[in-house]
Amino acid sequence: MASGHEQHGSHHLAAHGPRVLPSTLGSPEVLSAWRTRSLIIGVAFTVLSLVFLAVPGGAEHLMRAYLHGWVLCFGFAGGGLIMLMLQYVTGGKWGLLLRRPLEAMAGTLPLMALALIPLGVSLFTGKSMYVWATFNTVAKALQAVKDHQLGLEDALTLISKRAMLNPWAAVAQSCFAFAVFLFFAFTLRRWSMQRDADEARGTEGSFERWRTKFENLSGPGILIYVILMTDIIIVWVMSLDVSWYSSVWGLKFMVGQGYGVLALGILTVICLSKAEPIKTLLRATEQHDLGKFLFAFVMLNIYLTFAEFLILWSGNVPDEIPWYLARIHGGWWTICSLDFVCHWLIPFCLLLSRDLKRSKSRMKALCTFMILARAIDLFWIIEPNFPDAAGNLHLAGNYGILAYLTVPIAMLGLWGTYYLTLLNSRPLIVVNDPHLEEMLEPEHAH
Amino acid sequence: MPPREGIYGLIAEFNTPSELVYATEQAREAGYRRMECYTPYPVEEAAEALHFHKTRVPLVCLLGGLMGVTTCFLMETWINVYAYPLNIAGRPLFSWPAFIIPAYEWTILFAGLSTAFGMLALNGLPQLYHPVFNAPNFRNGATTDKFFLCLEASDPKFSLGETRAFLETFPAVSVVEVDH
Repeated sequence: MASGHEQHGSHHLAAHGPRVLPSTLGSPEVLSAWRTRSLIIGVAFTVLSLVFLAVPGGAEHLMRAYLHGWVLCFGFAGGGLIMLMLQYVTGGKWGLLLRRPLEAMAGTLPLMALALIPLGVSLFTGKSMYVWATFNTVAKALQAVKDHQLGLEDALTLISKRAMLNPWAAVAQSCFAFAVFLFFAFTLRRWSMQRDADEARGTEGSFERWRTKFENLSGPGILIYVILMTDIIIVWVMSLDVSWYSSVWGLKFMVGQGYGVLALGILTVICLSKAEPIKTLLRATEQHDLGKFLFAFVMLNIYLTFAEFLILWSGNVPDEIPWYLARIHGGWWTICSLDFVCHWLIPFCLLLSRDLKRSKSRMKALCTFMILARAIDLFWIIEPNFPDAAGNLHLAGNYGILAYLTVPIAMLGLWGTYYLTLLNSRPLIVVNDPHLEEMLEPEHAH
Repeated sequence: MPPREGIYGLIAEFNTPSELVYATEQAREAGYRRMECYTPYPVEEAAEALHFHKTRVPLVCLLGGLMGVTTCFLMETWINVYAYPLNIAGRPLFSWPAFIIPAYEWTILFAGLSTAFGMLALNGLPQLYHPVFNAPNFRNGATTDKFFLCLEASDPKFSLGETRAFLETFPAVSVVEVDH
């Protein structure tokens, strides 16, 4: 299990052999302080967001911004779950380092299920941001065409997709998907606790038994998650534009989730490395590896986003192309460029550097920036779906749009509070894992 | 170039990698810079002791990549806009989205090739002659079970007597002069 790499040299002579496991394996005090800070930010921005109720059109924007915040937080929760399963399947030291943060992220899924309730309720109000929920019968859809509220094509598409896109179907799909997500999250968490408490821990038999068990659940879990997440993201995001579709949609969001989860995970681990026990455990080698992994997600993300664009651009079909036109024209060009620069160009150029990947402070700054970039990306995807904003980004007389600044921060703050609570509830170091021994070996140059 | 004569350096032979790394660290501390370790398998601590971290291969790779992307993008632009303009489904001649993929491929190709050849150019391979092979014990030991540290004569601090005395303070199996 250990790599068997011998250590040579004088500076190792003093402390020859593996480093010692820190005496405290629990989370440092500072985590509670961060949690309080996160809660304060969450509450403050929630209060600030309420101001938009007084702004004309603010209530509508609050709902849209709520969806934005939900997709952002769900990216961390669901993404945490799939990344957790991924590291169980692949093994490796990066996974051991990130396991507790990932478990904590996956543990927030119940909160995300609860946070979906307002969106679910909004479907039944008769004036939803989803046209398929507003015009939820054939008669209503056809009437909407007569009243010029809906284009004929949109109406016909909407009618043909009614089996999937109607309020009750959306609720049923969400309930089912979240029931499955929660099953996986809870089972993995329960097993992880049992693994820590295993009588035979530290033996080859225990390692093997748990590894097989986790692998057997995680393998199918990844496939199931991908399918259900695609469905959820189609229902809640893609269907905002009822007649547009893209077959890479789910995958694009999944890669985006990986991008965000890795950024947050690396950020968490680096912040925790100020104090024991992560201080001992986080070596530049693993941080470098995580940086390379993050780089892969940056590449994969632009690959899918650009592939989607190139295919639609080449096709130049009237059904598909307006989606991009609404996101490029009328001031959206600025957000589109900002998205490209923040989401890909800056992380890509910076992550090329070996020194940056090994520097704690610079990686911390970059990871924070990448989380911001996720928010810009989602804003660009969500807001232009609405007729008042499509191809027309404007602030004058439309101050409600600023809700996209406050609501996601409020939701991230509240979500972060729960995340940090879960992170605080268990020892940060996984002891019953063979990789621990490898990570305690002294570091050498690569 | 006339054949160089005289001493290339002093080579010390060690039985264990730990002794080699220790001697290398001490030599660096004593002020030696032009030196090299020779080991039968990669000893990462030796590279660390030599402070052999920064090479210019990443820079060559980056420049190769930039060269690839500009060459291809400009070539496509030239062909499509000036040399052989074709109306494809009424799109503008300068249809940059379509140029991205070949430009990307060229980036990878140029970066890969320049890394491989740049590495060879920078490390001087293939090299048909190297003076250390003049040391009688080097030929067999360096590829099987011995660890060598060579302090080169081109180092300003090098002096035959003092350097030999310095190397002999370590538990070296032998310290041998290497001719050019």
